[in-house]
Amino acid sequence: MHITCEVAALFSPRATTIARGVIIGGLTLLVFIPAVAMGWVRTPWARGEHHAVAQPVAFDHRVHVTGLRIDCRYCHADAERTASAGLPSTNKCVACHSRTWMSAAPMAPVRQSLETGRPIAWARVTQLPDFVYFDHAIHVGRGVGCETCHGRVDRMATAEQVVPLTMGWCLDCHRNPGPRLRPLTEITTMGYRRPTADTSGARLVAQGDHIRRLTDCTTCHR
Amino acid sequence: MSRRYDESDGTREFPPGVADPPAWVSRRDFLTLLGAGAALAAGACMRRPDKPILPYVQAPADVVPGMPLYYATAMPLDGYATGVLVRSDTGRPTKVEGNPDHPASLGASGALEQASLLELYDPHRTGAMRAGRRRTTWGAFKAGFAPPALSRRVGARGAGLRVLMPPTTSPLTASLLERLRETYPEARTYFYAPLESPARIEASRKALGTALVPQYDFRAADVVVALDADVLAAGPFNLRYAREWADRRRTEPSAQLHVVEPTPTPTGTLAARRLGATWSAIGPIAAALMDTLGHDARPTGHVAGASTASLAALTPEARAWVSAVAADLAAHAGHSIIVCGERQPAEVHVLTSAMNDALGNVGATVWYTPPAVLDDGGPAHDLAALAAELRSGAVDTLVILEGNPCYAAPADLELSRTVGAVHNTVYLGAYDDETARVSAWHLPAAHYLESWGDARAYDGTTSLIQPIIAPLHDGRTTDEVLAVLAGRPNDSAHDLLRDAWNRQRGPGARMDGESDWNDALRRGVVSGSASARSTPAIRADAVAQATAALAARGATRGQIEIGFVPGRAVHDGRFADNGWLQELPDPVTKLTWDNAALIAPAMAARLGVATNDVVTLRVGDRALDVPALVVPGHADGAVALAMGYGRQGAEAVARGVGVSANALRTSSAPHMASTVAVLPTGRRHELALAQTHWAIEGRGSSIVGEGVEGQRSAASSVPPRKRRPLTLYEPNPPSPDGFGADQWAMVIDLDVCTGCSACVVACQAENNIPVVGKDGVMKSREMHWLRIDRYIDGPPDDPRFETQPMLCQHCEKAPCEYVCPVNATVHSEDGLNEMVYNRCVGTRFCSNNCPYKVRRFNWFDYNAEIAETERMAKNPEVTIRARGVMEKCTFCVQRIRDAQMASRLAGDAVTRPVVTACQQSCPTHAIVFGSLTDAESEVSRQFGDPRSFSALEELGTVPRVRYLARRHDGDGTDGAGGRAR
Repeated sequence: MHITCEVAALFSPRATTIARGVIIGGLTLLVFIPAVAMGWVRTPWARGEHHAVAQPVAFDHRVHVTGLRIDCRYCHADAERTASAGLPSTNKCVACHSRTWMSAAPMAPVRQSLETGRPIAWARVTQLPDFVYFDHAIHVGRGVGCETCHGRVDRMATAEQVVPLTMGWCLDCHRNPGPRLRPLTEITTMGYRRPTADTSGARLVAQGDHIRRLTDCTTCHR
Repeated sequence: MSRRYDESDGTREFPPGVADPPAWVSRRDFLTLLGAGAALAAGACMRRPDKPILPYVQAPADVVPGMPLYYATAMPLDGYATGVLVRSDTGRPTKVEGNPDHPASLGASGALEQASLLELYDPHRTGAMRAGRRRTTWGAFKAGFAPPALSRRVGARGAGLRVLMPPTTSPLTASLLERLRETYPEARTYFYAPLESPARIEASRKALGTALVPQYDFRAADVVVALDADVLAAGPFNLRYAREWADRRRTEPSAQLHVVEPTPTPTGTLAARRLGATWSAIGPIAAALMDTLGHDARPTGHVAGASTASLAALTPEARAWVSAVAADLAAHAGHSIIVCGERQPAEVHVLTSAMNDALGNVGATVWYTPPAVLDDGGPAHDLAALAAELRSGAVDTLVILEGNPCYAAPADLELSRTVGAVHNTVYLGAYDDETARVSAWHLPAAHYLESWGDARAYDGTTSLIQPIIAPLHDGRTTDEVLAVLAGRPNDSAHDLLRDAWNRQRGPGARMDGESDWNDALRRGVVSGSASARSTPAIRADAVAQATAALAARGATRGQIEIGFVPGRAVHDGRFADNGWLQELPDPVTKLTWDNAALIAPAMAARLGVATNDVVTLRVGDRALDVPALVVPGHADGAVALAMGYGRQGAEAVARGVGVSANALRTSSAPHMASTVAVLPTGRRHELALAQTHWAIEGRGSSIVGEGVEGQRSAASSVPPRKRRPLTLYEPNPPSPDGFGADQWAMVIDLDVCTGCSACVVACQAENNIPVVGKDGVMKSREMHWLRIDRYIDGPPDDPRFETQPMLCQHCEKAPCEYVCPVNATVHSEDGLNEMVYNRCVGTRFCSNNCPYKVRRFNWFDYNAEIAETERMAKNPEVTIRARGVMEKCTFCVQRIRDAQMASRLAGDAVTRPVVTACQQSCPTHAIVFGSLTDAESEVSRQFGDPRSFSALEELGTVPRVRYLARRHDGDGTDGAGGRAR
């Protein structure tokens, strides 16, 4: 006696291939997606570098820095005194511009601010997280040039971020500040070239050694 | 030694409820939410939001964003000024600190001064002027209440006009009231504050012939006796007295403090000899003390016969206290002070003056000045008289200038009803409270940080009050309203003050006046404005009368008394809407977010009640249900009930917290009532008691440093311990430059710490510490970085109190650091135990491993829900912590880094002195902070003090916070014999 048992095929011949494909593909995606994401955050684009930030006033640093040779600290006057470098008040803009360019179209927001008494809302270019307590005064006062973090502002039509501003980048300097420091007379110099035999940075570092190390967490986070 | 006197009944490890899973989410729901949360988090990644930079349009001179400015002003409380310096960050007041130039502050600031900052930003403050139910304007008020219009209602001579305000010392207010009297001779002004008592002035009128208040110099006192007086932690000059007492005690360790009081206070916990006695028993004790001293204690220190009739009538404990204290006083005649509590009857004040006189203290440690408060003790301070006038219907217009009298008045006056019946009531008040409700007009009051004005300190020194910020709610000051009534409606408070200032200095001194004015504003005090001292002779007949009156009255034996005491945090209810203060544990009872009927353990046993049992207090025909709180050291037969709770106004924080003691107060017995019935109800009300949650496993002596070799504790059986025990922890890695950098450390002197808790609120203000509410405290989730621990030792009716501020000990071998899986808590080069919020993932391992239990976890996003105005109170130099991270004391690292940067920029060789927030506020300088690398620093010196010890030293954590053990007095140093321990 012969019994034939016929069961409908549950799986098509391609099922194994599909299953394998799904498993391999899934695993690949599981690795690939995070890998791409982790790669992406490490790129300058993710960090907002080299991205011209639109401003309410078409302020051109090239004209003011290179053309008119105005010192950084004329407008960013608090950089040597306190944590925030500060932006000029509307009145400060007008102090120079009352004689020139005042009626030009790009100055409209300035005129409006002056009339209404409402501040000009500048877009932030260099943004640190709220838990970072960066202090301009101590950096400027100890030989970190403006250019070191803000780049060649004298060549920028619109200010942009040029350094990563990641914690690793900060620590690169905090671990060994010497080679990146410059004499206090050269703080605002754009395109400063360090003389090969310069030891002023090392000297500045030595002066501060008795105070504290720069890699303590509470140097920046508190 | 224990945290609770009844600790043996429950050594539970955790308070109930903390280990239960949340009821509102099941495991399945949790996993669902977890998945959804992860998906959302992945999908929500985007560039961080752009925040614009808004520079000034016209930069104000002196203001540099990021560099705070300090302004001197003064906070009035019950009329008396305390000088403060207020930090202003680009126009926002962010911190209140003491003013070293002000006599009431000497650089210190109390919990109330610190917390007044939050009051400024309170979102529940009245936002709009109101007439009836309609909004109105200041212009409309001026039109209706300036003289021509006002005269039509109140009569040309003002017969229908009454003004009610809290007691004031302000010269400007006085001059405006004078002007009001000229305009309306028949108008009358009344002053009322629930805590003030006319007894002191009444006594001085009788005994000294004129109205005078006593002033003390604690720096010259070797013996201080406080009769129901919390002199070191309450009252207008408490910061000064605490500072002076601590200074004396430091230089002269045998200086002694003796206290008799009904309910334990911070002053009492510091006493060498402390006696619990009911309010009415204080008088007989004072009489016995005087009899024992004799009237000729000067100059030989002769003690009269110790078996007088007045002494015999006392309890044995009181007799022993009186004999010992009298001997001590007599031995230090001319170098002692006897202080009488403000709310004791006039007779006790007379006896106190007589004893100070007999001991030769007057002229040395005690002198008198005219009272700074306007008409102090006079008829204008009689609220009952005003209530009678209101009831008679003769008053058309009642102007109430702050003080919320409809809440604070004794119940028998039924002021809410009476005021509601007045035709026209104007209320100037900060809140839509009980008084605002029954008033036709409600004007928002300006906070003192928004006001121009002036006020005098307890010794008469005048301070100018200057605004640090423009009024947030269009608030007005008392002076501005008075000016409207007096016919100067268009003058601002600044104009009025300037005008009064110029007039006072005469016409010729205009130019000089300008520099004087600026100087007074800058320093916060007007030079040379203190009242003249006087040392009048005492009238013997008044003393005899007082003694006779006390003898006739006698103590009310066998009856239960109730005393209405100031709420330590909320005062008379003025600060009831202040979360910082509501959550501030009482220094002795550790109670938060409630008031309770405080009773002695023996009395609780007799009545069959325990803590949390609701009892009915019945005084006459008035009854009140209050939860009981058993307090060791409380006088038997006495119930203490704090005022300022049970508010029914519209303030969301204050509303419904505790019960109102005013329901039991009557105008004839506003501070104390005898014959109260205490009846158990069988109901319970859970009180939120901080610190008492956990058992301390018998480690008490090791925590408070009992038996430390420097402590003069001959009777102590605890052997001195070794200084540095063996340890399994690895030693610190050697730092590259050895001890070259700063090494921060703190020393806290338990011998002078009163437990006043000013440091707790100062820390909260400086470090943006949130408030968690009553539920949070009950689950021991309070966030205070610095807490005051209180331990009790000895018999429950006469315990010894130990007070210990506890904060992150910044251990050199910190147990928390070894267990953090993400390195979120690490050690800095300069000896700080750092907490890095942006690394913390909230495992709470560190908190579990911390033997001091000083780490706090953000269970919720406490800062997300606060009002916009409250955000303005935040210190911009400290991170606002989010949910899920651990936090703890940082040694005010923001101040350290600031000082280091300033020193480095200025090229200084050493770091400038750093003052932490707690240290700055401390009235007794009990907290010292500095660097151990400076061998000359105070902290280095105190680190090596024989009294210094580390809490739980045997654990080998090597804390950077050391304590100086409390010296227990009377251990055979002065021959008086100490208490057996």
